[in-house]
Amino acid sequence: MRLFFIFTLSFLLTACVKPEPLYNTQSYIFGTLVDITIYGEPEPRAQEVSNQIIHDFQDLHNRLHAWRPSELKTLNDEFSRGNSPVTIAPDIAVMLSDATKLSIQSKGAFNPAIGGLIEAWGFHHDEFHSIKIDETKIKNLVHANPQMTDIVIKDGKVSSNNPAVQVDLGGYAKGYALDIALVSLRKQGIKNALVNIGGNIIALGKHGEKPWRVGIQHPRKPSAIATLDLESGWAIGTSGDYQRFFELNGKRYCHIIDPATGYPAQGVQAVTVLIPPQINAGTLSDVTSKPIFIAKPETRAEAAKTMGVEYYLVIESNNKVLVSPAMAKRLTWLDPLTAKNVTSNLQ
Amino acid sequence: MTRSTINISTTVEDHHIAKLTALAIGLHIIEAVIPSPLPGVKPGIANIVTLYVLYEYGFATAAWVSLLRVFASSLLLGHFLSPTFVLSLSGAICSLAALYLAQQLPKKYFSAITLSICAAFAHIAGQLLVVRLWLIPQTGVIYLIPIFALAALIFGLINGLITAKLIEQKS
Amino acid sequence: MSRLTYSSNTSNPRLKPLLGDWLVIIISIFAVIFMFQQFWSFEHASQLRIRQGNKIIGTYDLNQTRELHIKGPIGESIIIINQGKVRFKQSPCHNQYCVHQGWLSHAGEVAICLPNQVSLQLLGAKNTYDSLNY
Repeated sequence: MRLFFIFTLSFLLTACVKPEPLYNTQSYIFGTLVDITIYGEPEPRAQEVSNQIIHDFQDLHNRLHAWRPSELKTLNDEFSRGNSPVTIAPDIAVMLSDATKLSIQSKGAFNPAIGGLIEAWGFHHDEFHSIKIDETKIKNLVHANPQMTDIVIKDGKVSSNNPAVQVDLGGYAKGYALDIALVSLRKQGIKNALVNIGGNIIALGKHGEKPWRVGIQHPRKPSAIATLDLESGWAIGTSGDYQRFFELNGKRYCHIIDPATGYPAQGVQAVTVLIPPQINAGTLSDVTSKPIFIAKPETRAEAAKTMGVEYYLVIESNNKVLVSPAMAKRLTWLDPLTAKNVTSNLQ
Repeated sequence: MTRSTINISTTVEDHHIAKLTALAIGLHIIEAVIPSPLPGVKPGIANIVTLYVLYEYGFATAAWVSLLRVFASSLLLGHFLSPTFVLSLSGAICSLAALYLAQQLPKKYFSAITLSICAAFAHIAGQLLVVRLWLIPQTGVIYLIPIFALAALIFGLINGLITAKLIEQKS
Repeated sequence: MSRLTYSSNTSNPRLKPLLGDWLVIIISIFAVIFMFQQFWSFEHASQLRIRQGNKIIGTYDLNQTRELHIKGPIGESIIIINQGKVRFKQSPCHNQYCVHQGWLSHAGEVAICLPNQVSLQLLGAKNTYDSLNY
């Protein structure tokens, strides 16, 4: 009888299991939701590190804001006004030249200099409504052909040869922030973390015993269409027509503008790219989805190749899903029906 | 005018049964008043009386005592027709059903301990069913099952031992 | 009145459980262990589902610190979510069973305030993913 009680009691005691050391914090920066998850650190430490990163993000956001007073806005104002070179912070100078390099690589498909167009389409606000499309204005802006190559950086000062250049780092800053977050985390000795800025994610280490697992959102539903394991150093980014858009006369106009036409890209709901570990994995995960999004179906594979992207997924407006062969191997479809209808691109 | 009285003749046995029923009610009420750490988990010592009556006076009497206990206690405690009453009643009915079946087992191998444990499990089963179907219609009730089962086992065993001892002492 | 004859008691003076009793006891022990294994998972919960009466009030992520006020028939129950744990902080019931349940953190755990018809249920995860890309 006594044995029975001891037995039962000891069995019940094994029920006291520690919860896993997962710390998560959310905040609103870059005009979007930032989610930081740290695994395997005592809570006060995780909190301290997260706060530091959030602080850095906030700082970056303020300095690079496209339409509120910021270092970048000051720059843009100077560009449009005249020509006197403006002093800028070294890191912004680096960002500009890096963005220029990527712009050239994408043959102009990725073009942060078209801030004017983005504003013309009403996307320089926190919320969007349908606008009256000013065709003339758009045509003029396209004609003015603002390019990153118009920017001259010399002796820590920047100037532009084209007053139409208005730099909007919207398609670059989030990815860049992921990269600096990773550096910061590593420097502080964090081994396992997951940083999500508005859907752009970079991974460090693992979620305990298993790799971090990331869901890919369905463009038209609030649920995930697929999952994949994001291993340490890998980054994932998506450009979608469901993030910032408005509808006019039944047509959707999203924030991803084709610099060649001046109009929002059509025909695609979402493009997701997966970038292997490298110094600017985060930046690439943000930048490289745009050229693929803008490209015509027949040139998409080439656009991916030009940007060095091997793993990508495209969901067209007609709900057709295409994946690169390399990407196909990494995805777990959550809806078996979708899995059946997927075509693997030729690479 | 002649006086009319109604005489009901009672036997000694009836007196015993009445005393036992009163005892059962008393035990039930004491248990209801003493707070238990976990809601719904009680030693159920009034069941000792039910079981004892089963052995001494047969199933019919035991059923009578048990149900009388449920009704009287609820009236006295002010729970009549409340969820507590329904739980008490469903538990009593199910455990009586179990006792009816278990009493058929050969006495050579199964004593009051077995009957008590069976009745205890049946009791919680009846109560959990009422809880799930009526009071808390959610799957979360599943979480309570292991605790109730453990209580049924422990208290069923203890009550069974006590009853067996009482019966043995009587003879 | 029939009487169950208990004739075997003279041969059982020290009151050991009989053979059949041991069988029942052992079966019951296994049954109880089985139920613990089946119904008590120890996995860390990811979400809290609050119900009032029959209605689901909401499903909340546990990764936050937050206080929720739920109105029921006898008053307002206050629930706290604190980074992975939840509990009833206050409830207008008499017995305070719900408050005494303390912190819940495992999937499947439940705390209920019966008088106020408020229930907390922790949902498990087998989280499909750690973060969503969009």
